[in-house]
Amino acid sequence: MEYFEVLLQVLFWGLYAGCIYILLATGLNLIFGVMKVVNFAHGEFLMIGAYITASLFALLNYNPYVLILLSMLVLMGIGTMIERFCFRPILGTGKLNEIFISLGLIYVLQNAAALVWTDEWRSIQSPYASITIPVGPLNVPLDYFIIIGFTAALLIGLYIFLKRSPIGRAIRATSQNRRGAMLVGINVERMDMISFGIGSAFAAAGGTLWVVSGQVFNPYMGSMPALKAFAIIILGGLGSIPGAIIGGIIYGIAENGAAFFLGGPWKDTISFIVLIVVLIIRPVGLFGEASE
Amino acid sequence: MNAERFIEELKSPAVLITIIAILIPPLTSMNPYLLNVFIIMLVFIIFSSAWNLLAYSGQGSLGHAAFFGIGGYISTLAAVATGITPYITIFLGGAVAAVAGFLIGLTCVRLREWFLAMVTFGFAIIVQTITVSILAQFTGGWDGIASPRLLPSSIPNYLTYEYYSVVAITIGVILFIRYIIHSRIGIALAAIRENEREAQAAGINLAKYKLLAFCLSAYIAGLAGALEIHHFGYITPEIFGIDISFWPVIYTILGGLGTIAGPIIGTIVLTGVWDGLKLAGMTYERFIIIGLILIITVIFLPKGLVSLPEVIKEKVAQWRSGKEGQVKKEETGG
Repeated sequence: MEYFEVLLQVLFWGLYAGCIYILLATGLNLIFGVMKVVNFAHGEFLMIGAYITASLFALLNYNPYVLILLSMLVLMGIGTMIERFCFRPILGTGKLNEIFISLGLIYVLQNAAALVWTDEWRSIQSPYASITIPVGPLNVPLDYFIIIGFTAALLIGLYIFLKRSPIGRAIRATSQNRRGAMLVGINVERMDMISFGIGSAFAAAGGTLWVVSGQVFNPYMGSMPALKAFAIIILGGLGSIPGAIIGGIIYGIAENGAAFFLGGPWKDTISFIVLIVVLIIRPVGLFGEASE
Repeated sequence: MNAERFIEELKSPAVLITIIAILIPPLTSMNPYLLNVFIIMLVFIIFSSAWNLLAYSGQGSLGHAAFFGIGGYISTLAAVATGITPYITIFLGGAVAAVAGFLIGLTCVRLREWFLAMVTFGFAIIVQTITVSILAQFTGGWDGIASPRLLPSSIPNYLTYEYYSVVAITIGVILFIRYIIHSRIGIALAAIRENEREAQAAGINLAKYKLLAFCLSAYIAGLAGALEIHHFGYITPEIFGIDISFWPVIYTILGGLGTIAGPIIGTIVLTGVWDGLKLAGMTYERFIIIGLILIITVIFLPKGLVSLPEVIKEKVAQWRSGKEGQVKKEETGG
């Protein structure tokens, strides 16, 4: 029965880690769908989101699960500004330029965070850290359930927003056909800003959930989750939000499985091995389309 | 090569800068600190030029530290095992890096820009993990291992000789890259970068040439890594770090992507800025400034510092014609 216990444990870790990756990957996919831009500095939004929640927590001493909303709002503002001043000027000038701009942003954001908050490892305590819920033979922390529930709520909220609201419809129109959207009078540049803002807010939510669950963080913690989010996007297909969700769950479980069965150092590496193997077999990703 | 052609060559910025590089140490009275800075700068000129050669074919790698580090490790292990001078083993380091470049290139040549960037980035992390886990008994794990110095420090003025030997290798590499870029291979690579489909229609074998660019670039990067490690005398897995992958990108973009002089100028200018900021006592601010320089360059000076004279000339011409136009307007209006 012990083996079953281990599998269940891995499954829960995977689901919870998967939630963080899903939030990142969904945001990236939303931005990619509308702007056809991949922001390599997306993990830095996650890191800043975590720091803003932690600072607000230290300042107000309020429940971090409520402060998450404030943190998302702040990041939405930062995200729209970065879109306006860094990505819009180079839109359509070549894909390499986006990668270079993101590189610059990584340097600026990481070290600005280190200047403001120092580069020491930090952690914050969830108010429910001591509460666990028995699931079969395991005691799963209540935080894991809140994280999974919060992620689901955000995704459902995004779905309703995109399907029902006029702005959501305009965003979908822009991502389907930018020129067509322009022709029917949609301000596509505003849609760029909005989707970049939402994507950044999702990253902030991911960062906050990451640290509330007891993970330590520093200004350089964003790169690794972001790269895993890219791997998920490649697996699930660029621009496909359902692909990001399924990919994120599979990925979180696979990664924690690898860490358990192969050892700690392989946790981060196995993802890239999977990624490279998939790309050898299918250069456009598992669910990606052959053309642009 | 006739005399006229030779003078023409001399005018090229690459050659001018290497001449300056040769003259610098005597002018700074062989200050060891400055010599160290210059040696590292030359190593990064080689490294950035290697990255630039790959980017010349339209492939932007974010994991060149993998090749840099493989070169360093292989050369170190070979020099320790055989006792041969590092001046020979560095070429072996480059060769093994080229093999690694070939293997990862097999995947990468079929990928779009974003995927290529992610895969190369991941590759550096995989190599680092393998170095500290499976190969730990050879590589010393995270602690690293000592590496034979290029020249033993018992020789008087060894640093000066070391500097000149690195200058010679740098000149050799730059002339080699010049040769490649001006040959049929270089023309094919540029064609692929500009438009893959048209290049293919013109009969260029895309996979073959892109793979060739990968191998050449990895070879030169491995050479640079080996040189740096033998200069420091120590190697740790930190060499596969993200910073090492990003530096050649930043140097090349600032100097001018796809030009021979670009990586050279970019490395020299940024090394100067970097060490200047260090002297001014900055830590995190330096990285922020470097990041801002990169962003501003991409947005406002996409062809890099090498295009600055042209841009200024154009702006001046515009300003002049604008002024003349104004005068004319006033004349006709008045």
